[in-house]
Amino acid sequence: MKILFTCILSLLGAVAICQNKQILYGFDEIPQSLMLNPGGKVSQRAHFGIPLLSQIHLNIGSSGVTVFDIFGESSVDINTRIRDKIFEMKNTDFFTATQQLEIFNLGWRAKNGIYFSGGIYQEFDFISYFPRDLAILGWEGNRDYLGYEFDLGELNTTGDLLTVYHFGANKQLTDKLTAGIRVKLYSSMFNFKSVDNQGTFVTTLGDENSENIYEHTITNADVTLQTSGYASLRDDENDVNIASEMLGRAFFGGNFGLGLDIGATYDINEKWTASASILDFGTIFHSNDVETYRAYGSYTLDGIELIFPPLSAGENTFPYYNNLEEEIEREIPIDTLNTGYTQMRPVKFYASLGYGFGKSRGDACDCFHNKSDDHQQTVGIQYFSIIRPKGPQMAGTLFYHRKFGDFLSAKATYTVDSYSYSNIGLGVTGSIGKFGMYLAADNLLKYGNLAKANSVSLQVGFNIIIDE
Amino acid sequence: MIKINLKFFIFVALCCLFFSACVKDTDFDQADDIVLSPVVELDLIYFNLRASDFVDTVTGNPRLTVTDTTEIEFLDGSFLQENLARAEFYFKFTNSIPRSFEVDFQFLSEANDTTYTTQTVVNEGSVSSPVITEFIENVEGEQILQLTSADKVVVSVTVPSSTVNVSGELNLKSKTTYFLEY
Repeated sequence: MKILFTCILSLLGAVAICQNKQILYGFDEIPQSLMLNPGGKVSQRAHFGIPLLSQIHLNIGSSGVTVFDIFGESSVDINTRIRDKIFEMKNTDFFTATQQLEIFNLGWRAKNGIYFSGGIYQEFDFISYFPRDLAILGWEGNRDYLGYEFDLGELNTTGDLLTVYHFGANKQLTDKLTAGIRVKLYSSMFNFKSVDNQGTFVTTLGDENSENIYEHTITNADVTLQTSGYASLRDDENDVNIASEMLGRAFFGGNFGLGLDIGATYDINEKWTASASILDFGTIFHSNDVETYRAYGSYTLDGIELIFPPLSAGENTFPYYNNLEEEIEREIPIDTLNTGYTQMRPVKFYASLGYGFGKSRGDACDCFHNKSDDHQQTVGIQYFSIIRPKGPQMAGTLFYHRKFGDFLSAKATYTVDSYSYSNIGLGVTGSIGKFGMYLAADNLLKYGNLAKANSVSLQVGFNIIIDE
Repeated sequence: MIKINLKFFIFVALCCLFFSACVKDTDFDQADDIVLSPVVELDLIYFNLRASDFVDTVTGNPRLTVTDTTEIEFLDGSFLQENLARAEFYFKFTNSIPRSFEVDFQFLSEANDTTYTTQTVVNEGSVSSPVITEFIENVEGEQILQLTSADKVVVSVTVPSSTVNVSGELNLKSKTTYFLEY
């Protein structure tokens, strides 16, 4: 238990918020920006991501607590600090972790002007809201909370491990409008989901007419945990078998789903450009290897009543304890179901408005390149939201994008979200010949001491880019 | 040439930033000091004995001692064995029988060896004014091991003299406070 608790706390440091990739969005020099807006502007003729290295994305966040809050050097006892945090945090605070690894990604412009792109990536996505009442119950016990109704509905978590196969098309439709679409096939390796739970647990002091000192009451409990890809691994303790099984599922072995990304970019005039995209609008259908556990009902526990039956020698009394266990199991049964379920992907929405100025080429070619994407610098705002079990999480970003000649571009961002008001990010992409690399990270102000960061997000990747 | 320098500069700056990132002023050894110490209140047993329960219904002879047993299987589970720091039993007797009683609690292991015992005396009361007797048994230190070796408790209620022709009830309510540390 203690080890588990320590692991969870350590995770806070290693992992962070939503899936927002505010730096990469609209960063057209990086081919992977097409994954955030399939309707983005494509400047290259073709690109080929270095396998396994074309995009590595890691994002870890917790909205209510940082590693420093718990493990910072302090004269205050660590147990006091944890207790204070438990009471300070709200049940809408959350912990998230997202990791993506591009296995391959390539794109090319066909003769009809359409830029096709496709590839495979693997994704892990986890979110858990902070079950405040259960944390209090676990940390303090029920002695000081007689009459307080602990909310079992605060239990709210989902986790996904999946492979995504995608193929998209992008085309400049008019002088002003570029649009794109991407179809995704999800292959889920593992999923768990426990949302929409309800019920309360309360210990009340009995009165003269009560059977016993206390009444421990669970009211209208309905707690469900849906799993897919777990049942067949449960009894397999051999790590090698599990690893090979998971690898098998990464390619068509588990459960499947379909999704769609759409997006567009519109040049309002020479200076202003707007864009928007919707990502992962889709569903995974879990039907193989599905196990759902559901506990529901109401029950009041009074302890064990002794009857003192007259017994002959050798005769046994009533099996009070077994009867009690059976009674509880009857009143709050735990069902194991094998019915399939569908799971919406966390839908993401991006929008941006940018104002471009300056000319990237100050030479005579100007007359042929009078399009807005030739601006040397752009400033603007971006909006991001992701649909999560307890409602959308949102973020707003101010950005400044600048080209340094043909070989180097950089983008700086300032983002406000559930985690903080002080998130500065910086991304840079450079190319040497056809070889391009990019690096983007946010929460730079916290890099001096990552322990104080509520979230950390990092993307890095290498591509071969063939220009027009 | 200027472009190259700029590129170089920004790359170096960013790389420096990445490699200078660190986690400081933290002491993860403190994890060893984390102790969860919840205090859990849980009902134990309860009963209602009538004065007539101390008389054999068939023969009419007095039954000076009545006994009952219940399993409490969670007590010798590994969780309590490893994490219980202290246990406090609270027994509340309400007696309206004009007799005093001796009540024995005998904790037995799965093999029926006695691992822990405690007893108390319940004061006599009357039907018109029942008397409350409270009894607290604190278990800690080495006794914890004895207590958590048990998985059942035998409750014996003994009346010193016949209870024929007396009326009233002996009621027990009880709970245990588990002081856990893990």
